[in-house]
Amino acid sequence: MSGNGSTIPAIEAEGLGKRYRVRGIGPPTLFGRVRDAVRGHAPAEFWALRDATFAVPRGRTIGVIGPNGAGKSSLLGLVAGTITPTTGRVVARGRICSLLELGAGFHPDLTGLENIQLNGAVLGIPRDELRRRTDRIIEFSGLDRFIGEPVRHYSSGMYVRLAFAVAAEAEPDILLVDEVLAVGDVAFQLKCLDRIRRLQREGRTLLFVSHALQTVEEFCDEVWLLHGGRIVAQGEPAPTILRYIREYMGEGGPVYTQEFGTREAEMAEVRLEDERGVEAAVFETGRPMTVRIRWRAPRRIERPVFGYSIKTANGLYLHGSNTQIAGVEIPAIEGEGEVRLTFDPLRLMEGHYLLSLSFHSWDHARQFHRREDWYPFAVRNRTGALGLVALDARWTVGEERDGGAPQPPPVA
Amino acid sequence: MSVDLGAVLVNDPRGARVSPSPWRTGAGWDMFRALVARELKGRYKGSVVGFVWAVLVPLFMAGIYTVFLRILAGQRVAIERVLVGVFAWQYTAQCVQGGMLAVTSNANLVKKVLFPRMLLPASAVAAHLVQYLVSVVVQTVLLAALGGAEWSLRGWLAWPLVVAGLTALNLGLALILSAAHVHLRDTQHLVGVLLSAWFFVSPVMYDLEFASAVVQARPGWAPWLWLNPLMSLFTAARACLLKGAAYPWSWASAASLAWPAVILGVGVLVFRRAQRHFADLL
Repeated sequence: MSGNGSTIPAIEAEGLGKRYRVRGIGPPTLFGRVRDAVRGHAPAEFWALRDATFAVPRGRTIGVIGPNGAGKSSLLGLVAGTITPTTGRVVARGRICSLLELGAGFHPDLTGLENIQLNGAVLGIPRDELRRRTDRIIEFSGLDRFIGEPVRHYSSGMYVRLAFAVAAEAEPDILLVDEVLAVGDVAFQLKCLDRIRRLQREGRTLLFVSHALQTVEEFCDEVWLLHGGRIVAQGEPAPTILRYIREYMGEGGPVYTQEFGTREAEMAEVRLEDERGVEAAVFETGRPMTVRIRWRAPRRIERPVFGYSIKTANGLYLHGSNTQIAGVEIPAIEGEGEVRLTFDPLRLMEGHYLLSLSFHSWDHARQFHRREDWYPFAVRNRTGALGLVALDARWTVGEERDGGAPQPPPVA
Repeated sequence: MSVDLGAVLVNDPRGARVSPSPWRTGAGWDMFRALVARELKGRYKGSVVGFVWAVLVPLFMAGIYTVFLRILAGQRVAIERVLVGVFAWQYTAQCVQGGMLAVTSNANLVKKVLFPRMLLPASAVAAHLVQYLVSVVVQTVLLAALGGAEWSLRGWLAWPLVVAGLTALNLGLALILSAAHVHLRDTQHLVGVLLSAWFFVSPVMYDLEFASAVVQARPGWAPWLWLNPLMSLFTAARACLLKGAAYPWSWASAASLAWPAVILGVGVLVFRRAQRHFADLL
């Protein structure tokens, strides 16, 4: 990726920090300042980003992840130069364009074409260059029929398409992306991701903020984990994302989790593993996923039941089952041991999911240990198919032959 | 793939700087042009008569002021002088009101894109200047029709200098007020009040002779008249364009012509200092 062997980093920061003063609700006013001064109110302070030192080599794609308020957007704003740091400094070499400003400066009364000219100029595309690229921009946006209409009449999706098209044509050396790909329809999202891949191939430097962890893992050479305004981890995508999921999303994290039970027997350690038996946070559609549950039972328990359920990140209950339903009877347990739950193939599609585990008696009367929405994980889909679940469907071309009725594959 | 490093952005507590500057690469001018075009196109897109309003409004105002001044105050200020005054005042008043909102109304742009922030008040003022120049064409036709115009080469050569001075003053005020409005949102109310006070102490619907007559009863007030930058600018504008109007040169009236440069200088300094925190406050 780091093509030309240039040793000068594209982005360099030293002791970069940003402090905000919180002045209560509403915009600042002279009246308010005077009132605060009279009452002796000092504004509260907080550091959105603190002591960030880093260097991004040319041509590298960095994913920036972390919970809300971790300082991701401040970091991007500082690199873009729109936010003035409180401490330290950042140097960026090359033309910067941020996809965080999609449609910034669009004027609702101007036509799409007029807005292309305006936005292009504001993004620093030279005039003659912009004139040459206008056709490509219109083509990429797919809005040629509406380009003479005022953008006031555009839907929000059309608005974003036009804006992305202009930004993509700005051909930046450094591209800052802030969670903008969540908008637009699926087809356009794929088009955008495709364009981003092209920029990567061309050796551009990318800083990529996203909550879509599977996209981050797929696109980035390196991932930075931000928390509380600090860069707490920098490294390979998979382990850094795993750390984020474990430390900040699951137990005690921002996800609403619950744990209860009598604890007569409990789940001691749980690992989510991929097909190689390596602990992972991002799995792939159509490949196996295994959940290893180490249990502990101080007293003997007759006929226990292990159960699980999977929800999407926004709470849709997708599937749930247990050893009882599956006809796996466990006569009794005592001491320590392990059960494994394997999904092969994993039928979930791209997205974030929450796994719940439970451990209860045969008659469901006693709940030994239950962890609700406790284990988040992400799924990446490379099959090209769309939707929420991977169904076992097959195409048959030609006439149906006798005795050739397809056997339904076993369902987990 | 080139090793061309192109622009270098340095961002530290003193603010973000890009080298080479967008003015040297021409990008700054492209942006300026695009923003002025946006101002002008956007302003009249929704209205039927469009640009005509730019002329109609000061025309109506000139009519109203002339009539009421005669009825109420019984003063006979020549209609041509009121015309020149009102058209020029309209330019300043719009720059103050529109310029003040230049940064806050573009919050999205300021928070997300790095570009010379001064372009925002500057493009607002430039759009008003274009509008003013259009209204000046109408003003000239009217003056010719009324017979009050003076067609002297000296006057027409000095006139652009007066417009430049007025523009510098307006830009300076727009810079100061647009920066102030980000930090203190209630400047809007204060400016509204001050603007109407300024209207009455400026020779818009009256002229220097009228003001001098009022001041004559109170000796010692006369030099203070020149503390108002619009006193010198409007008087100079009339001296350039109208028959029987002259600029009364004195050290006070000459010094008053330096106001635009002072205000513009202060405006640039204030704006430069304030712009670092724009994104935090918007």
